[in-house]
Amino acid sequence: MRGVKNIVKKELTRVFTDRKLVINLFILPGVLIMVMYSIMGNLISKMEKDIQTHVPTIYIQNAPEDFSRVIDAVGFEGKITYLKADESTDGIKDGILKGDIDLLVVFDEGFRETINNYKQAGDPIPEVRTFYNPAEDYSNAAKGNFTADVLYAYQQVLLAERLGNIEQLQVFYIDRDPEAGVIVDKNKAGGKFLAMLLPFLINIMLFQGAMGLGLDSITGEKERGTLASMLLSPIKRSEIVFGKLVSLGILTSISSVIYTVSVVIGIQRLAGGTAEAMAGVKFTPVQILQLFVMIIVLVYLYVAMVAIVAVYARNQKEAGTYVTPMYILVMLGSILTMFSSGSEKALKYYAIPIYNGSIAIQNLLVGELTMVEFGVTVGSLAVVALLITTLITKAFNSERIMFNA
Amino acid sequence: MIQINELTKVYKLTKKQMMEKKTKKNMVKAVDNLSLTAKPGEIYGLLGPNGAGKTTVLRCVASLLKPTGGDIKVNGFDTVKDSQNVRKVIGFLTNEIKLDPQFSPRYMFGFFGRLHGLDEDAIEERREKLFDYFGIKDFQDKKIEELSSGMKQKASLAVSLVHDPDVIIFDEPTNGLDIITARNVTDYLKLLRDEGKTVIISTHIMTEAEKLCDRIGIIISGVLAMEGTLAEILERTSTKELEDAFFELYKMHSREED
Repeated sequence: MRGVKNIVKKELTRVFTDRKLVINLFILPGVLIMVMYSIMGNLISKMEKDIQTHVPTIYIQNAPEDFSRVIDAVGFEGKITYLKADESTDGIKDGILKGDIDLLVVFDEGFRETINNYKQAGDPIPEVRTFYNPAEDYSNAAKGNFTADVLYAYQQVLLAERLGNIEQLQVFYIDRDPEAGVIVDKNKAGGKFLAMLLPFLINIMLFQGAMGLGLDSITGEKERGTLASMLLSPIKRSEIVFGKLVSLGILTSISSVIYTVSVVIGIQRLAGGTAEAMAGVKFTPVQILQLFVMIIVLVYLYVAMVAIVAVYARNQKEAGTYVTPMYILVMLGSILTMFSSGSEKALKYYAIPIYNGSIAIQNLLVGELTMVEFGVTVGSLAVVALLITTLITKAFNSERIMFNA
Repeated sequence: MIQINELTKVYKLTKKQMMEKKTKKNMVKAVDNLSLTAKPGEIYGLLGPNGAGKTTVLRCVASLLKPTGGDIKVNGFDTVKDSQNVRKVIGFLTNEIKLDPQFSPRYMFGFFGRLHGLDEDAIEERREKLFDYFGIKDFQDKKIEELSSGMKQKASLAVSLVHDPDVIIFDEPTNGLDIITARNVTDYLKLLRDEGKTVIISTHIMTEAEKLCDRIGIIISGVLAMEGTLAEILERTSTKELEDAFFELYKMHSREED
């Protein structure tokens, strides 16, 4: 163990005494992630605000006489131009296509008369048609708002006029106060959002951290000839391997904590309200322990995966090429869980490495991970990690791999 | 004491290497049935042209490579079965094995001292002695990447001797050094010999072999062509200089190969 301790100490010293490396590995990515998400958040909220405050340009053809009163009554804001039946709407439609005009509303000719003349089933019912451009945010919003606020209100007014008592139509209400009917475990609701995002983030961040550090620490040292000097020391090769993996694991954990925290902070700004949802998540001590154990095992596995590539590669460029498919594999494993949230998984799925890490973390966050599932996950991850460690030690003993002999 | 007994080392070539060397054979015999003994209190020099197999022999002795045939004993320890004990008693220096450029000579010295199981006091004592001798103290706290190649070589030398090894293996010890530093190194090797250590070096510099080595083994195409003291070699080849002796042997062996 003397060797392991010394190597870990040296590796950590190497990173933390190098100011440039610390900035590049830990500080810069964290700051960049936060800035990126904050800018995205700002832009999105700015866009939403802009759409909200935009006064839509609307053309209405054949508007019934009482229609403008409805618009005023509901307080709908818009630059409204009324058209007569014989005026052409081609130019307006062109304007909608170009994004200059937001909405065209066309009432059937004799709209009001048709409604007034209605006596029995089968009599004609007039129509209001709206023309808009779904590719334009302003137009899209104008159509939605105009339909909901103005046309629906107008419909209600006319219904009341025809029937006298509109309650006849209502028959019964459904959820007059929808908020009062919500029964939810706040932990689970908050967890659900996290459960979708966090396994993905943890996986990606861990692997990315391992990738950046591992290639330099192993392939780089091999290339520079500094690994060979360690191979000459009277310690077991397995101690060198273990020392390398542990130090990489520590550094990876630090970087992934920084990345994850910056992503979470960034996303809070991005989504605004989610901060509350996240704060609502509470873990039991057992869950925290489970999460901790799982992350430790995952870190070790990813570091080992990167290390085995790094050992076999002759130079860092080659290592970079080999490690990319692994990165995609890890991404795939975690993306799969993003879109399958909530469904129950058979126990055998918890034996599939990488994927099992994601689903286990996901279920843990919504409080549905059983001890058996946890055990199978950690067990299968550990078996693979140990297998890879053995392979790495073998590679360290191979003169062909170490000395290109 | 180093005992090499019928050492053979065969390298397998990959398809790419075969193409590069324009050969259809997928094996290269780097060392062929080579036996020699280097005793305590002497400097043994392996003399040979580039690619003769000198480095391969030394790497096998240092337990970095495994012999394809034969065996090597270092102070009685087998380099394959007991490699960890072999690494405890040897100090190995070669150009291809380097110190971490981000650390200072002082840090590397301590690191390898600890890997060898020395305590801090012992490391400090060895550091004082070796850094003083090689004049490393002035730059002991500078990063190795900032040092000149001569300084780097000195630092590597000191680090490889941190554990006061009984057997010293140096692959081309003066390669790339200026005259003063080279002299410093060869003088230290003599000092080690006088302390009763076993020293084996490889070189392609005739004068170095003449001046430094107590016994010389001339190695050509992986075969030990001749072995003995300088006087013995000159006598057996009927020549006056080592260089002439070397060419005689080289011609003979080239003819044999054809």
